[in-house]
This record gives sequence, C-alpha cells and structure tokens, in this order.
Amino acid sequence: MLIVGIVIVLIVLLVIVALWQFNKLRRLNVNVEEGYAQIEVQLARRSDLIPNLVETVKGYAKHEREVLEAVTNARAHVQEAQGVGQTAAADAQLTSALNGLMIVAENYPDLKASTNFLQLQEELTTTENKIAFARQYYNESVRALNTAIVTFPSMLFVGMSGVTKHEFYEVPDASQRIAPNVGFN
Amino acid sequence: MSVSFRAAQAKNKRKTFLLLFCMFVFVVLAIWAVSQLVGYGSVWVVPIAVALALAGVWASYWSSDKIVMKMTNAKVIDHATAPQLFNVVDEVRIAAGLPMPTVAIVDDPAPNAFATGRNPEHAVIAFTTGLLATMDREQLQGVTAHEMAHVGNRDTLVMAVAATTAGLIAIIADIGIRMSFFTRRDNNNPIAAIAGIVILLLAPIAALLMRSAVSRKRESLADATAVQFTRNPAGLRRALETLAADSTVVHERSNAVSHVWIESPLEGKSKSLFDTHPPITERIEILRAMEQSGPTPT
Repeated sequence: MLIVGIVIVLIVLLVIVALWQFNKLRRLNVNVEEGYAQIEVQLARRSDLIPNLVETVKGYAKHEREVLEAVTNARAHVQEAQGVGQTAAADAQLTSALNGLMIVAENYPDLKASTNFLQLQEELTTTENKIAFARQYYNESVRALNTAIVTFPSMLFVGMSGVTKHEFYEVPDASQRIAPNVGFN
Repeated sequence: MSVSFRAAQAKNKRKTFLLLFCMFVFVVLAIWAVSQLVGYGSVWVVPIAVALALAGVWASYWSSDKIVMKMTNAKVIDHATAPQLFNVVDEVRIAAGLPMPTVAIVDDPAPNAFATGRNPEHAVIAFTTGLLATMDREQLQGVTAHEMAHVGNRDTLVMAVAATTAGLIAIIADIGIRMSFFTRRDNNNPIAAIAGIVILLLAPIAALLMRSAVSRKRESLADATAVQFTRNPAGLRRALETLAADSTVVHERSNAVSHVWIESPLEGKSKSLFDTHPPITERIEILRAMEQSGPTPT
C-alpha cells in the first residue's frame, strides 16, 4: 500500500516537472521570436526614414552622388535579405553607408542647421540605438533558450516541446562593431 | 575589484528573498508572542484588523499609477510633444523587452525621476523638468534604464508585499500589547510572557528596518539591471554624480511617495538603517567598478 502511494506521488511530481519545463522552453522560444520580430520592425523603420533623409541631403548637396547612391543601394540589400545571417550583413553595410553620409553632411552648414535635418538626425540616432538594443535583447533571448536546451532538467523535454537552438545575431565584420555616432550634439 | 552586473543582480535578488523570508518569520514570531501573552482564544481580532490593513495597501498598489501621478501632478507626454525623451524611453524598453510605459513630466526644478504602476502593462515613468534640463542623452538613458529596471523587476509589487508584511507585524504587535492589558493568559511560563512583550515592543521598529533594507536592495538591483539593459554603466554613473552634486529637493516629498524617486528627497548626507536608498557615493563606486570590468562581462 505504501509502495503504491510513493509511486503515485512520484508520478505526480514527474508530471508537474514536465509541464513546468515544457512551458519554460516554449516561453523562451516565444521570447526569441518576439526579439527577432522587433529587429525587423526597427530595420523597417530605418528603411522608411532613408528616402526622406536622402532627399533632404540632396536638396543641399546634390553633387555628393556616390555617397547618396551607396545609401540607397545598401537599403535595397537590407530589404532583400533573408534570415539572420544575411540580414546582419546587409544591416552592417547600411550602417556603414549612413555613417559615410553623415560625415559628408558635416561639410554643409546650411544642411546641418535645417530643422528637417535635425529631426531626421534624432530619428536616425534613436533608430540605430533601437536596432542595437533589439539585437541585444534578441541575443539575450537566444542565450536563455540555447542554455535551457543544453542544461538539466529542461534538456530532457526538448523533443516534447519542439523547440530548437537559434543563431545569435552577430555583426560580421569587426570594424562594424562600433555603433555609429550619428548625433552631432 | 571587478564587478559584473549579473553577479550584482544575483546577489541583490538573494538578499531580497532572505529579507522577505525574515519578515515572514517575524510575522509568525509576533503571532506567537501574542499567543503567549493573551492566549490563542482572543487572537481572532487580529485577522480582521490585518485584513483591513491589507485591503488598504493593496488598493493603493493596484492604483499606484493613478495615485502617484495625481500626487506629483505629472503630465503625460507622447512622441509629438517630447520626441527625444519619448525616443530614449522607447529605446530602453526595447532593450528590456518590456511594453512601452506611459511617460510623464513633473514640473519641478529639482532633478529626479520615478517609476510606478502595478505591472509592466500599467507602468508609468516620470521625469522632472529639472532633470531634463541638466542631463544629456547618455545620462537620460541611464536614468530611464534604472526606472525601467524597477518596472521589469516588479518593484512596486515587491515593495507592496514588504509594506504589507511590515504593516502586519506592526498591527499584530499593537493589538497584542493592547489586548495584554485586558486579558492575560494563565501562564506558568513568565519568561515566555516577557519574551512576548519584548518582541511586540521591538516588532514595529524591526519591521521598518527590514522594509528599508528590502528597499535598498531593490535600488541596488535596479542599478545593476539598468547596466544589463544599456551595457553602459557610465550613463547612469554620470547621472548619479550630477544628482549627488545638486542640492535641490523635489516638492512632493511626503512619506507616501518618497521611496519611488531615484534620489530620495527625505534622506540627508549621513547613512541610516532607515534609508530607502543606498548612499549615492556607494552606488557611483559600484557602477565605476562595472565600467572597469570592460564590455559584457559574464
């Protein structure tokens, strides 16, 4: 009678642990998906800001064609990119092109003083920060999920929950690791 | 000495848990003390008084966002009215993985900020006009990260639990002492009775000390979590240095809301066990140590 009682208690405990670990893995997975979606939202925001920025700069600095084209092309690459790896590479290229554009803008005092440009600059600064933070949050979520997948006891329930490891969002080139300082204040 | 924000977070969470556990033990001790003086039969009065006190604390926790905003006369802003502030808060909440809180401004020349609200979905973060005037974008980001840390760590809830427990201890002690004047348990153990009285006399002070300790640990945790969000200890450190140098104090400094501000308006320069915040110089030193640890330590 006692043996039956103990077995029942053990089975109940096992079920509780299984539910708890299953939900934990599922929740961590959702965080990762949410994190990636946020990166895409911010990249899209930046994409939307760019035509306006290019037009504003063109208004004051039409001869700087190379730099403006570099930005427009890089933007197109980001929109075409598929998956974490490609997006990260295209994103790095666009950041670099925008840096180039802001450096050129330094030579045009009328442009720097225009309210339109100043507003765009703040929006660009905040969007670059948001992209960086979205990447950071995504990587933290991936870290938590990947850790749960390889540690005990959650690793026992990976098959049951159907979650898999995810890639970190890594910046491909070492020179791109410095966040662009697009604020001139 | 190098310090990582993860180690600091783990330490402060452990201490919070320990303190709340000690407070709970104290509640049990207080109930025991009453039973030694008065006997279990008369203890029924306690749950009624306790329930009333509980209702009070939890009602104010539930509506904390509205209550604090009203008391400080905070005005809500949006992206159109204050674009840079709104952007900074938006950035930090993305790093934190939290929903966008309501952002408000308090008209006061003293630099300060607070966060409140019963959960992240109903959170409010406010900044004084004084703070917005004296801080640059990096410092503002640091302060915002500290406030979002309070939201993410559910500190309004933690402090409500601590306040309730402390209140409970004080009420039990108060009722116990009063009742012991009228009824006395037929006890052949006078030592237990004396122990009971001593515990009940000291209980309210002990409860306040423990509650203040919890508040200090949550502030330290918020500093460490802010670094987890921004990975830039210098921003918050420079903001705290500016706050330390400034001597003006916010107008709304009643006891009810003094604990929510980033820099306590009530506490003086000397350290006290009743302080709700750790000393500002200590906070600055810890952040400096994190800066020296280098980027993203594990």
